[in-house]
Amino acid sequence: MQIDKLEQSLRPAEREKPPYPAKYITMANGQKLVVHQAVREDVPVLLEAVRPLIGVAKDFYDIVAARLYAELLGWYRFRVKDEYCLVGTIDGEIVGIVNGREVNADVGMSYHTMAIRQGLRIGAQLFAAKMEYHLDFLGEQEVWIVAESPNGFKRWMIEYELEARPQTWHELGGVPTYVLTQALWQKHKGAKCGGRRPVSDELLQTARQMILPQTYAQLPGWRR
Amino acid sequence: MREVGIVGVGHTKFGKSGVPFGHLLSLAAVEALDDAGIIPGEGHGVDQVIVASMGAGMINRQHGVASALVDSLNLRPAMAETVENGPASGASAVKLAFMAIASGMADVALVVGGEMMRVVSGWEATDFVATMLHPEAEYNYGLTLPALAGMFTRLCMEKYGIAETDLARVAVKNHANAMHNPVAHIQLVPDLAAITTDEDALIINPYVAEPLHVYDVCPVSDGSAALVLCALDIAARFKHKPIKIAGIGQATDTHAVAERAVPTDLLAVRLAAAKAYAMAGLQPEDVDVAELHDAFAILEIVEAEEVGFFPRGQGHLAVRSGATEIGGKIPINTSGGLKAKGHPLGATGVSQLVELTRQLRGEAGGRQVVGAKTGLAVNFGGFGNNVVATILTKGEE
Amino acid sequence: MPIEMSAYKCTNCGQLHHPAHFVCVKCGGREFEPIPLDEEATLVTYTRVYNLPEGYMKPFISFGIARFNNGLCIAGQLETEHPAAGMKLRATVGTVKEGIGQDYLGLIFHAID
Repeated sequence: MQIDKLEQSLRPAEREKPPYPAKYITMANGQKLVVHQAVREDVPVLLEAVRPLIGVAKDFYDIVAARLYAELLGWYRFRVKDEYCLVGTIDGEIVGIVNGREVNADVGMSYHTMAIRQGLRIGAQLFAAKMEYHLDFLGEQEVWIVAESPNGFKRWMIEYELEARPQTWHELGGVPTYVLTQALWQKHKGAKCGGRRPVSDELLQTARQMILPQTYAQLPGWRR
Repeated sequence: MREVGIVGVGHTKFGKSGVPFGHLLSLAAVEALDDAGIIPGEGHGVDQVIVASMGAGMINRQHGVASALVDSLNLRPAMAETVENGPASGASAVKLAFMAIASGMADVALVVGGEMMRVVSGWEATDFVATMLHPEAEYNYGLTLPALAGMFTRLCMEKYGIAETDLARVAVKNHANAMHNPVAHIQLVPDLAAITTDEDALIINPYVAEPLHVYDVCPVSDGSAALVLCALDIAARFKHKPIKIAGIGQATDTHAVAERAVPTDLLAVRLAAAKAYAMAGLQPEDVDVAELHDAFAILEIVEAEEVGFFPRGQGHLAVRSGATEIGGKIPINTSGGLKAKGHPLGATGVSQLVELTRQLRGEAGGRQVVGAKTGLAVNFGGFGNNVVATILTKGEE
Repeated sequence: MPIEMSAYKCTNCGQLHHPAHFVCVKCGGREFEPIPLDEEATLVTYTRVYNLPEGYMKPFISFGIARFNNGLCIAGQLETEHPAAGMKLRATVGTVKEGIGQDYLGLIFHAID
């Protein structure tokens, strides 16, 4: 695609980020959840995975899906700076998505955590993987986090004992900001962050297929 | 005293309901009425309706549920009561319907147990269930059912050498059974190694209340179950041959759990079962299939001992040997139990008897216990301070 | 004056109770006098609970059941990092739940060094 001067001027200058090394976690049913980093070209399929949930009001899926959709689209169209996205797959099927952004060398901005498949604590694993990326691989000192659902508040703010910093403005708006500092991460990651590396080529190839879910438990009767 | 049997069963899919509470109750009720061949309206013949629910008032802001249900089902002018006895509400309702028929006050009764708990968050549900604990000595401390179960589990583990893996084995067995039960909430079989010994086991199966993990604890479910009971002397009116309610026993224990003389005993379970056996004229070895209240994995193990299936301290060995699996010496929780089928509080005691009826009728499909003639259910209220045991038997062929 | 927790002694037969009962578990008596609980107790069993009910903004709370020297077994919150059955505890009274307009007092057990 030809990029004209005007388009060029609209695009953010991206920082080179170290990649997130893929890992797998053996879930309760014995299946392997593979967490790997999506590339920009993956976005269209991720949007299709998210889109059906935009209409699900229960458990705040609608707001999370709508905003995640917009954020991923913003990344795809070069309108968000230094965004990344990690995808959870089981047998190649997309079961969860998390994303965020590197603000600067010291600060990470957590965006959204969406578990598409329910009942296996996939959201908790993906959230932990996202924090691992910010604090262990990008080397940031803290991650700014907001919760949009009571469940999120319980899982992140309370369980990780996040530091309240309401004076800090999070990019998702005026929801009070909480912060996962390196110190809190070191305290909690042993109990929260699992997974094994390296992921075998075969498993990673399967993960990269990123098969769209055909049904969603959140949408009874819906089929792709 | 007239003899009483079950001639109709109904059961919704447990899990997330998505319909109003009254509708949820009606779904199981009409299935049971249809199963019995009762046509609502004039001359329906249902004398008594009893609804079991623990949280209708508190969670759903609905009282007089049984009166509403009778009208909704067009069963007026049947007598109607709502029964609240904590998580044992279901079996209590069956007991009261039994008494109504046995006494001669009624010929036919409809019992419906139901709960809609997923309209509130998990922590609100935990709080609501904890309101049955001792207000000053337990509830105000933040103690919950999982907390008491955790402390009880630790004592049993230390006394009898039960391992955390034994608890997980109960879960794996019950989840495997639930795969054959279309009304079960959870359709997933946990992998024993993944939830116990795998490097990430503590992360994917974290503690809820040490030493209990997520997979040692039942889920929060919506659902309803229903039974049609009748006097055996009029059972010929109905489509199905009746399954006889041969024995019912009930017993209570201290409200504050810390006050119990032997903290590893479930005395009310033992006493309730003994009464039920005595009434039925049966022994533990006569039971072919059992539904035991496994809100926490430890409860299935200890209840199996207290009802006389195994000597005290050996229930976990029976789990290890496979004795409690379908095909084993005494299959327990063929339905999936509370662990996998789900635990909509007021529905549970009724649901257990639906399962036993299906087993004794030979309608249990892939989870059928071949030749089952006698079933025992234990419905456990509070943390064991109010327990109902019920024995069902199949008549001679 | 430090706040105390009480056992309830039947004035007829001397049986101790906690929590309060309306009728004595031993003799059927209906009158009780409050007796201060000892400070020392022994841990019988314990748990650390992670899924807390509505109203708690903490990741976990520990609980224990302790046996007092007078024979009573009572549940309370447990504030020790490394609990073990049989360990000696010091029972204090503190806020065990923050309510709206009213906090609830109860037993909090600490390890005796």
